[in-house]
Amino acid sequence: MTTAVKRRTPTLTAGAVLVGLVVLVALVSFIWTPHDPTRVDAAVRLLGPTGDFLFGTDKFGRDLVSQIMVGARTTLYVGVVAVGVAALIGTPLGILAAMSPRWLGEFIMRVNDLVLAFPALLLAIMFGAVFGASTWTAMVAIGIATVPSFARIARSGTMQVMSTEYVLAARAAGRSRLVIARRHVLPNIAGLLIVQSSVSFAIAVLAEAALSFLGFGTRPPTPSWGRMLQESQELLAVQPRLAIVPGIAIAVAVLGFNLLGDGLRDRLDPRLAGRR
Amino acid sequence: MFGATLVLALLAAMTACSAGSSVSVPPDPDAISIGFTAEPANLDFTRTDGAAIPQALLYNVYEGLVKLDADGKIVPLLAREWTVSEDRRTYDFRLHDGVTFGNGQPFTAADVKFSIDRVKTEWTISLKSKMDVVERVDVVGPAHARVVLKRPSNNWLFDMTTRIGAMFSPSGVADLATTPVGTGPYAFATRKRGDSIVLRANPSYWGRKPTYTTVYLKYYKDPTALNNALLSNGIDVISAITTPDSIGQFETDTRFTVLQGTTNSEVTLSFNNAKAPLDDKRVRQALMYAIDREAVMATVAANRGTLIGSMVPPTDPWYEDLTGLYPHDPARAKALLAEAGKQNLWLRLRVANLPYAVSSAQVVASQLADVGVSVSIEPLDFPAVWLKQVFTDHDFDMSIIQHVEARDIVTFGNPKYYWGYDNPKVKSLLAGADTGTPEQQVTAMREVARTIAEDAAADWLFLFPNVVAAKKKVTGLSDNLVSESFDLTGLGRR
Amino acid sequence: MILALMRRTGIFVVSVAAASVAVFLFMAVLPGDPAQVALGINATPELVARTRAEFGTDRPLATQYFDWIGGVLTGDFGRSYVTRDLIGPQLADRLGVTLWLVGAAMVIALLIAVPLGSFAAVRHRKLSGTVISGVSQLGVAVPAFLAGILLVQVFAVQWRLLPSGGWTPPDQDFGEFLRGLILPALALGLVQGAVLTRYVRSAVLDTLREDYLRTARAKGLRPGQALVRHGLRNAAVPVVTVLGLQLTTLLIGAVVVERVFVLPGLGSMLLDSVAARDLLTVQGIVLVLVIAALLVNFLVDLLYTAIDPRLRRS
Repeated sequence: MTTAVKRRTPTLTAGAVLVGLVVLVALVSFIWTPHDPTRVDAAVRLLGPTGDFLFGTDKFGRDLVSQIMVGARTTLYVGVVAVGVAALIGTPLGILAAMSPRWLGEFIMRVNDLVLAFPALLLAIMFGAVFGASTWTAMVAIGIATVPSFARIARSGTMQVMSTEYVLAARAAGRSRLVIARRHVLPNIAGLLIVQSSVSFAIAVLAEAALSFLGFGTRPPTPSWGRMLQESQELLAVQPRLAIVPGIAIAVAVLGFNLLGDGLRDRLDPRLAGRR
Repeated sequence: MFGATLVLALLAAMTACSAGSSVSVPPDPDAISIGFTAEPANLDFTRTDGAAIPQALLYNVYEGLVKLDADGKIVPLLAREWTVSEDRRTYDFRLHDGVTFGNGQPFTAADVKFSIDRVKTEWTISLKSKMDVVERVDVVGPAHARVVLKRPSNNWLFDMTTRIGAMFSPSGVADLATTPVGTGPYAFATRKRGDSIVLRANPSYWGRKPTYTTVYLKYYKDPTALNNALLSNGIDVISAITTPDSIGQFETDTRFTVLQGTTNSEVTLSFNNAKAPLDDKRVRQALMYAIDREAVMATVAANRGTLIGSMVPPTDPWYEDLTGLYPHDPARAKALLAEAGKQNLWLRLRVANLPYAVSSAQVVASQLADVGVSVSIEPLDFPAVWLKQVFTDHDFDMSIIQHVEARDIVTFGNPKYYWGYDNPKVKSLLAGADTGTPEQQVTAMREVARTIAEDAAADWLFLFPNVVAAKKKVTGLSDNLVSESFDLTGLGRR
Repeated sequence: MILALMRRTGIFVVSVAAASVAVFLFMAVLPGDPAQVALGINATPELVARTRAEFGTDRPLATQYFDWIGGVLTGDFGRSYVTRDLIGPQLADRLGVTLWLVGAAMVIALLIAVPLGSFAAVRHRKLSGTVISGVSQLGVAVPAFLAGILLVQVFAVQWRLLPSGGWTPPDQDFGEFLRGLILPALALGLVQGAVLTRYVRSAVLDTLREDYLRTARAKGLRPGQALVRHGLRNAAVPVVTVLGLQLTTLLIGAVVVERVFVLPGLGSMLLDSVAARDLLTVQGIVLVLVIAALLVNFLVDLLYTAIDPRLRRS
């Protein structure tokens, strides 16, 4: 029954396409957007979709398409930094916890559990209170809150690798722990970490949207999908398009990264196919 | 799971027509719920700044000797009548008989002395300085209080209509933050923090009994949630709509009446006059020319506000139309900036994180970008952080905030005020206006308004509209918001 | 077994203590003197000094910490610098609202996830199973506040069936309480249900592959029957873990939904207190949230042991 799972992974393809779309849009926005996304023009405010403004304009007369395009940049930026922070701190911690004496490993994981008790939203609100809310406080807070997931994955992955015969052989040959970690552990858990990055990315996108909605995220006028939603809320009954467009953008990005993560998991570890 | 299906279904439902029956009207005809956006931190306006406390309590729970009526006129309240001496320094107030506080204590001239003296000793809010002009209060008889001023002051009696003039009982000030005690038609009943304050009619009130015996003041931090509450019949009145683009929803709905009038709330782009680069008048004037106030008002207030040109609302006696002083002229703005040698200007626009301020900031930033001025917008938590960093520490180049207090143009006479405007001419004009005759006052104030506008001391973007939406059954709401109170006493029922 | 229990309890207590120190220190580095902030700009230095003494913020940090934590242990969280109210009763009140919301959302999430997740697993190679997986993927991608905004727009504003927001305590009017709880609980619960569905599906899939279930099926039971008779208990282990993690996320995730629906819960109290820089209150709320998260983890650990006998031995 377990072997029957197909190796072809439509999930991976769908995820890659969606993520690719978001990345492409963000990259194009560096070179070209139909209009200046932050330029306010009272003469064209609240226009419906037209040839010039494909999705229409918001209450500031700003082009929705251009805002979505530049907003993709914000989304990716937050995701990359948050996941980067989490991976760069969490991975070494996890490997260390697995390779060090039992008491130290135990201690690291207990601290890890403690950090887990501070969810991203809570940390971001606290950071916002101290440093003033900005994209940076949001990214760093989301990143720190994601450290435990990376540490856990890295630790369990490392433990498996450490019990393999070639590592035992390497240890017997007197290789230092650092060398083992670099030559054997890291390459072998890289797949797991990539999967985790993709899933964490999706969570980071959602967290950034929620924070911008609450006013603890990206500052205006930098376009952000979450803030577009928040600004359009008062006009929901009159111009639902203003909320639907950024809402779909968020959903596409989250869906893309989740599917990509699932697909990669299936590809990297066929035994797990069909999970999650 | 069905999240997505749900979203699709909801979208379908939204595009469908808005049929459906109304439910959940509060069954008690003697109760009314009124929605607000700003919730009081506590109930003590003697120690806590902020407009939300007097909005809920003044004229409703607390009363002063005088009050401001809907037309902005000073009328008697606890004082039956008053006389002013020849030298305009001595005020004799005759008090109403049979007035009691909510705790049963009678209200007498001794309480007038207690309340006025207490402003000087115990109050800590910035407005307390308005009482500095009082030399002493004499208790002539139980119903006769005499107030002697150090010098004649036109502003003092006006200020007595604000929270400064509220009357307290010595037996009722032990716990002002949670238990306010006044002589008003309503007594404080309960509060649920983050949700509501409940006022109940004061059975022993000395004046006209209010129509509604129970008033729910409901607080909605989010303006859209406030709108939705009225739309879904959750409340009866929106005290002030702060999202002007949504007003159309209420105007087209036959369940509601919408009143529109003016306020004292100048939406002000304030400049830090005391700090480079905005200490240079040419730079400030350049910014004035660069900003298209009509576009700001169209975007932020759906064109419903009033353009003013200085810090005077049309309801003040010394109003003059100064909107032509700085027409939108980007070329002239650039020329002035070049003349001042400030072509590559970078300014910090630190605004309160309130919808109108953040919206205005984005329009202003975009318009200033057109003349080559880069602006970094920083929304600050309001009130705490804005008050600390901008208002107290003067750490800003520009800010945007509604100046809601009546006749707040006098702040331009105080060089320590956050905009750091220091002009001896304005100071002496303001002093003269306060001590002079009413005619002299009007002339001098007009001169002040023109001078600060010519100096580009700040950019008064527009006057925020007062828009009240209510169920058809509610009567007695006023178009204009002239006092700091949401006055419940005139409300009636159809 | 008992030793393991004691060890876990010990870890829990130490974690809570460490968390309380972290929260306290974090608040201590915040700029601004609470007494000055509370009194505004016109307060005299004497009054500020008097208030500082009244607040106790003129004492050394260590003294302040032990005084605070000592109070907390007896349920006394101090008196707010801004509202001048006792924080403890406020916290209890607000936590009650949030717990109702989170509890109702959890029930909704489980009611969705358990049947649909199991169904999707049993039929994972059929079209219906794939559709459910796909829809749940989409559901995960919808932010809870967006779901909330749309629910309000349709059910409250357009159809006027349910309140758009606000809170009625259950002891005041239970019917009104329920009506007010439906939309926020749905907003929070639907999205969580989508997340949970995926975990239930994978847990059930794993269980279906176990030998004893194959045996059961070999005896002629259909997959669904076999699952209900033998498999659910085992599938519950990973699901309970996820549920615990989600509960933590939900407690703070509720802040967004509380904002949309104007519920006086812990989340809106946190946002208000942060905006007013009511630090002692923020400190109390954060501590409660963090302890709740640690407690949930602790309980999940215990439950784990109870559900899965194999884990008891290790």
